[in-house]
Amino acid sequence: MTGRLGGRTFSFLPENNQLERIWIIAKTDYKLKYYDTFLGMIWAMVMPLVRLLIYWLVFSNIFNKKIDNYGLYIYSGLLLWMFFQQGTKKGIAALRSKRYLMMNVKVRRLEIFSSSLIASFLVFLSNFIVYLVFCLFFDLPWSLNILYMPIMILNVCILIFGVMLILATLHIFMRDISQIWDMILLAWFWVNPIFFAKAIIFETFPFLMWVNPLAGIIINFRATIMEGKPPQWDIVAYDYAYALLLLSIGLLLINKFYHKAAEKL
Amino acid sequence: MPDNDIAIKLENVSKTFHIRDKTSNSLVSSFGNMISGRDKRTIEAVKNVSLEIKKGEFFGIVGANGSGKSTLLHLMSGVYKPDKGGQTSMNGSFIGLSLGLGFNNELTARENVYVNASVLGLPVKRINKKFNKIIEFAELQDFVNTKVKYFSRGMRARLAFAIAVHAEADIFLMDEFFGGVGDERFKGKSDKVFEESIVKGRTIIHVSHNLSTIKKYAQRVMLMHKGECLKIGTVEEVFLYYQKTLKINSLSVDR
Repeated sequence: MTGRLGGRTFSFLPENNQLERIWIIAKTDYKLKYYDTFLGMIWAMVMPLVRLLIYWLVFSNIFNKKIDNYGLYIYSGLLLWMFFQQGTKKGIAALRSKRYLMMNVKVRRLEIFSSSLIASFLVFLSNFIVYLVFCLFFDLPWSLNILYMPIMILNVCILIFGVMLILATLHIFMRDISQIWDMILLAWFWVNPIFFAKAIIFETFPFLMWVNPLAGIIINFRATIMEGKPPQWDIVAYDYAYALLLLSIGLLLINKFYHKAAEKL
Repeated sequence: MPDNDIAIKLENVSKTFHIRDKTSNSLVSSFGNMISGRDKRTIEAVKNVSLEIKKGEFFGIVGANGSGKSTLLHLMSGVYKPDKGGQTSMNGSFIGLSLGLGFNNELTARENVYVNASVLGLPVKRINKKFNKIIEFAELQDFVNTKVKYFSRGMRARLAFAIAVHAEADIFLMDEFFGGVGDERFKGKSDKVFEESIVKGRTIIHVSHNLSTIKKYAQRVMLMHKGECLKIGTVEEVFLYYQKTLKINSLSVDR
């Protein structure tokens, strides 16, 4: 096995045991997060339900009862939002949490981030299953359009990966980016069409629809399951372009500054 | 392309660190620094080192504390990037062996073996096969599912070494790794590995200021002082040079 220096090789094609390796690291990440217990996994699924319950109790009384299946309406948005939130937050710390490996063996940088994303995806997946079960209790216009759903999920994954790379690079130089990111997330949460009918916020501030890539994804995601419609393809295209742009920026940044990580973190 | 029998090659490698003493890396403090502009220091940890290490060589690096030995190891492995103008290349996979690093404390011995061996390039099937050997070599049969945070220094060292040996890393980068670690019996085992390594074409870079292992095995030794390479030669040559020219007493020749 001839290697190149310090994992500076850069390739998307899996070689020998790369996929296994990413999987092993992702599994340990997932375990570390949920303390390795069966109960831990239950907690991972209970948390979003508790959040859902609280939001539902609060907002169904305050806001528009015009929206059908309001509980599920919130849940759909919340599901994707929590995936995004957790994925990016974990991504910030990805390099530091893998420092023990980076200093001692040749790890490829994208493997570190892929593992982190997969670990978050596993959490999302368990929540997604709960969500689907939840859906069965509602009277929904089931249709084959639900098969479009993975398109939106993949879009969130790319988005998380891109944002994660950008944040992780910033984190090398600015430790407090995690606090700043928390604040941004706090604000960002409210400009998503999670509680409101999409019209309310985007009629007042139409630009938010285009600034916030998650808005379109959530709207499309909901359309496939709650309305039985196909996604709006122009929004899909826009949000994919958005996510891929962030991904390219992230890749550029991490390639340029990755070598600083060992020194600074 | 490097020659096939060269494991590590450094050309004009220097490393300068820019550090801040009081503040950490953060947005808030960098605003502070922008205004006051103070608090920045540069440290030249390694100055213009060139060397070639052959495959299968046991190469020792000695020097006082702070002479740049560990930084040099990180430069070899590519963890640190050299300053402009420097070139490093490494032919083969490496594992760094130093105390306190390499393991995630919250993971069990088993999980750490899998993560490390996998990153070194072993497919899971091979790790499954070798797993028992690794644990036996490390003498940790009773602690397979124990989190590494409960391990003693000796246990960690044994586990790391066992992984390095069985996961077939080509290059061992050992940083003060055997300074009082492992009992006599385990030392016997590691000695055997060192002896075999030459046959198997394994390359060992051994950084230490405890010279007993280096005296025993190293074919060549490099003496570092304040980031510079003062001398590369056989153990005897370097010692002679050292005694003649330098009177630093932190380089201890004990045991």
